[in-house]
Amino acid sequence: MSTGPAGVRPSRLRHIRLPAAGIRFRLAVLHSILLFGVAALAVGAIYQNVSRVLDDEPMSRHSAFTELVDTPQDNAGGGLQVFEEAVNRRALRQLRIYSVVALAVLFFASLAIGWYAAGLVVHPIGRITAVARRIQGTDLSRRISLGGPPDEFRELADTFDDMLDRLDAAFEMQRHFIQEASHELRNPLAVLRTNLDVVMHDPQSEPEDFRAAGEVALRATSRMSSLVDDLLLYAHHERPDVHRDPIDLASVVAETVADFAAAAESAGVELRAEVAERLPVVGDPVALRRGLANLLSNSIRVSDPESSVLVTAGHDDEKVWISVRDEGPGIDPDDVDHVFQRFWRGDLPSAREHGRSGLGLAIVRQIAEGHGGQATVRSTVGVGSTFTIWLPRYVDR
Amino acid sequence: MRILVVDDETDLVEALARGLRREGYAVDTATDGDEALEKASFTPYDLVCLDLTMPGIDGLEVCERLRANPVEGVAPRILMLTARDTVGDRISGLDAGADDYLVKPFSFDELGARIRSLLRRDAGRSGAVLEVGGLHLDTARHHAACDGTTLDLTPKEFALLRYFMSRPGEVVSQEELLDHVWDEHADPFTQTVRVTVGTLRRKLGAVGGDGVIETVIGRGYRLGARGGAG
Repeated sequence: MSTGPAGVRPSRLRHIRLPAAGIRFRLAVLHSILLFGVAALAVGAIYQNVSRVLDDEPMSRHSAFTELVDTPQDNAGGGLQVFEEAVNRRALRQLRIYSVVALAVLFFASLAIGWYAAGLVVHPIGRITAVARRIQGTDLSRRISLGGPPDEFRELADTFDDMLDRLDAAFEMQRHFIQEASHELRNPLAVLRTNLDVVMHDPQSEPEDFRAAGEVALRATSRMSSLVDDLLLYAHHERPDVHRDPIDLASVVAETVADFAAAAESAGVELRAEVAERLPVVGDPVALRRGLANLLSNSIRVSDPESSVLVTAGHDDEKVWISVRDEGPGIDPDDVDHVFQRFWRGDLPSAREHGRSGLGLAIVRQIAEGHGGQATVRSTVGVGSTFTIWLPRYVDR
Repeated sequence: MRILVVDDETDLVEALARGLRREGYAVDTATDGDEALEKASFTPYDLVCLDLTMPGIDGLEVCERLRANPVEGVAPRILMLTARDTVGDRISGLDAGADDYLVKPFSFDELGARIRSLLRRDAGRSGAVLEVGGLHLDTARHHAACDGTTLDLTPKEFALLRYFMSRPGEVVSQEELLDHVWDEHADPFTQTVRVTVGTLRRKLGAVGGDGVIETVIGRGYRLGARGGAG
């Protein structure tokens, strides 16, 4: 309540309140009209029937009546008829008055009952609106928790709460990610700042000191820019792409492996590929290429010269896989579960300084999962590691 | 004053060491927890600048172990350096025994001020200025004077004078000076302590501070009452 734009609030309140009151009013009127209409019809029908009975069959002409009275004189019969008609008229007038009074009472009673009943119905909506209004942009901790019988409103409120749960979790993840990302950026920033601080503030700094600080600054900034690139990539792949076409993964693999031929050669690593003929999948070729590229650069980096990296790709009935096997140091069994976590770099002190963002394998997993597949690793310390991307196979009709 | 700087970023450690040496501290470096604990196990550091997040043994654990096994009975002051700045991170750092907490990236001047403040706590003084007899030492401005005359000292001579002035009247051995004023690169068999004490004495003598630093034969040196001022 403290941070809301106080000047805007009252008019906005009116905008939100009106439809709620409107529904209650409309419900009450509808309720009342229906109740009143049915009652009016009933009263009208009773009146109609009673008046017809009284008009159509005067008692004085009834055979039973003439026998009972036994005075067939026209005169006396005529007087009786007049009297009877007067009685009938009076009875009908009474009935009319009672009916009108009853209808009038019923009209107001139905309005009141309708208003009350509509209020009962509309009340949970008011509560849902109140909670929704109180939820601030970033504080998603409030819930409606409507309770009561499992009716439609309860269902609506529970659905709303579920949505808030999901939003809350998503926001929390986002917050966490931003926090981690800023921590990661602070390390190269600290290197940069301290180096410049120390050199600039020392009156005895020589040109070679400035040169050395400049080199450190270059290293730190290139680290930061690759980190920022990977952060953007990671954020981009967090949302699964909607634009997907059937593609042949075999050609994607062949092209990516060709891209890495030079890097492998300069590292003294033998890069081989065994790729099956046709590997149909539905996906984004740019993203899949990036995923394989991350695996390849990772494997080449951990490989000793003279060792080899083998890329294989194939399929079974349901899945297509790409696998990258290296003969590097392998991963400790305790760490295997962490390799796809973002910002995890293993226990290598040099990892950060070598410009590794700690996002490469996290991006691989994201891409695989974004395509409905998964990324896995098998590793033996001292023998090497095999990273695999599994994707659902596309079956052409 | 001898400081150990621990961080897994070599570029940061080297810049910090360079800057702190210029301020007259003896600085050793370590790039992971194991190396830090090993060095701290045989050197009585006055202060450790410790990175919180390191691969292997992290800063919190190093901090706890330094507190648990102090060398020569005195645990060093610990200044935690970290990229993490949530309240929870600060609390766990301070609970592990850190004396202060600095979030990266920091200004080097602020780091210097915090280190001075932490080292002053040892001596139970509150200011950055030391006064003994007619000697005046401003550790923040790096200014030394004797009877109002400014002394032109190298960082090492300044550090030496500061160490003497923080222990007036105490006998200080050559080994102690090597431990606290020189870093791991000093060769314990050279005459470096004697030579630096000699030049410091000469500079003090030139402004009327003759005999301030006495030699206690067989034991070391002592900052005594001044001959000139009586």
